[in-house]
Amino acid sequence: MTQEMQFKTIAAQYCGVKPEDMTNDMRFREDLGFSSLDFMSFLGELEDTFDVELEEEEVAQILTVAEALTLLERLQEE
Amino acid sequence: MLIRDILEESAKNYAEISAVKWLKKKEIQEMNYRELLENAASVRKGLLADGFAEKHLALIGSSSAEWIESYLGIITGGMVAVPLDANLPGGDLVDLINRSDAAGLFLSRKQAGLLEQILAECPKLKKVWMMEDAAAFRRQEDYDGQTVSGGNASAAEVLSLADLKAIGAGSMADADRPEPERIATIIFTSGTTGRSKGVMLTQKNLAENVKAVQYTAEPGSVLLSVLPIHHAFCLVMDWLKGFSLGATVCINDSLLHIVKNMGVFQPQVMLMVPLMVETIYKKLAGADPSIPKQMVANAVFGGRLHIIFTGGAHLDPYYIEKFNEYGVAVLEGYGMSECSPVISSNNPDDNKTGSVGRPLPNVEIAFDNGEILVRGSSVMKGYYQMPQETADALKDGWLHTGDKGYLDEDGFLFINGRVKNLIILSNGENVSPEEIESKLALGALVGEVAVTGENNGLTARIYPDPEAVLAKGLDETAVEKELQGFLDEYNKTQPTYRRITGLVVRKNPFLKSATRKIRRQEVLVDEPCS
Repeated sequence: MTQEMQFKTIAAQYCGVKPEDMTNDMRFREDLGFSSLDFMSFLGELEDTFDVELEEEEVAQILTVAEALTLLERLQEE
Repeated sequence: MLIRDILEESAKNYAEISAVKWLKKKEIQEMNYRELLENAASVRKGLLADGFAEKHLALIGSSSAEWIESYLGIITGGMVAVPLDANLPGGDLVDLINRSDAAGLFLSRKQAGLLEQILAECPKLKKVWMMEDAAAFRRQEDYDGQTVSGGNASAAEVLSLADLKAIGAGSMADADRPEPERIATIIFTSGTTGRSKGVMLTQKNLAENVKAVQYTAEPGSVLLSVLPIHHAFCLVMDWLKGFSLGATVCINDSLLHIVKNMGVFQPQVMLMVPLMVETIYKKLAGADPSIPKQMVANAVFGGRLHIIFTGGAHLDPYYIEKFNEYGVAVLEGYGMSECSPVISSNNPDDNKTGSVGRPLPNVEIAFDNGEILVRGSSVMKGYYQMPQETADALKDGWLHTGDKGYLDEDGFLFINGRVKNLIILSNGENVSPEEIESKLALGALVGEVAVTGENNGLTARIYPDPEAVLAKGLDETAVEKELQGFLDEYNKTQPTYRRITGLVVRKNPFLKSATRKIRRQEVLVDEPCS
């Protein structure tokens, strides 16, 4: 499974959208129906799965799937 | 009985039991009851020696051992603690510091970026104490121990909490025990007029609420505190109630880590808002159905959790039933900051699903056209420097809650509606639509706006200003795009719960009353005015 698909499989736990139907321009709140806490909990799972550390302040500005994927890739490179 | 008595009693009975546990660089740190009492006493004596007797002192920061020992130092010495929401924009915090007449401020290092603005715009502040990692702060900043000059309205000194405690530890003089009717704390809550109100709670209010909540636990029982500490529900029920029982209160360091920290601290009891119950349920329901529920529960809850108290907003009884299947009792309660905060609560031995429990023994309940009225020893003294709002809320000693409800034949309270125009989100935050509308109305394209609570978030319903649209030559798609861009910019400046997550662009102006006010009960109607 690619990293992106792994990411979307975790996200799918919190919403009714299947991983394969999730497009990168989708917004977590408006399009996927995440609550603010769903989003935080999801990010906590990303930390464990991909071994990165996220800051609450940094993630607060993320709106779309693409933005979260970009941040994840940047943190993995650092 | 005062909070000071409760704390001293616990320090005597449970001296070596951990009062607080927290994580620092993934390692568990702890402070026992004896140390907690000593630290609170040092803060109290330090404030007294520094000339802060009877003053108001604000606190800005998330849950920490330093936050709670500072809070206890303030209220056990008869001073007034003003906990503020660390996630508010700087301008809002400045307003609340000034409106609460705070003479001193305890500031978390995480919020050190606000220091310059606070010093420049809060003329009544005399001192600021940085709470955590004072040593690191010293190395990085040169504010420490100096009066900061240049654009500094307050000429406040910036010191560390460690400095204050050192003064207190070396001082013999101690504050007298406060009078029960003295104000202990001012807690800000959303007002229907768009201006937050400072709820004044007395020493007696707090202690009576702690005593009246019918819950007992063995000393050393573990609580995991996941709610914001400036909220009355968390402050009084996690912390003060927890300390009265000799419990160990563990700090959840981030909303990202609630489930992980349940594994780390293995709590037996937690306080939550419905939003958390809903999110955690998704984790339970998402598990492989072939795995036994008890194993799933152990993995998600840490293995020992058996009670969740919820409050702050309505919880769908569906979750109570579902959590029961995983061995966890979800007990709903009802309260508001004005009542210190608990009014009624289900408890492990006496509960009814769908109700918010029986009223506490220290409160009386009455109804006025269905609105719940509350009277008793944990009802606030009033709103700070807001006599009109106080008179509107407190009539003949009865607090008008703004909620509608009824008592059933067994004495359980049920909530079934609201009188006031506040949006209650499932994270327990109360949002005043007018407050947000006044900010959104500043948008160049915004003609009229109403904010509503929908799908667990806030939706802005906007009627674009026809002249602005015409002047810019925008079509429908461009209008929506520009309005969404405006909302995105607004959201960046707001705490999560005050962000707008839905946009509806209206074709028609809102229906209005004779006084030209938007008719809120009809904001969903989008038809031409007749």
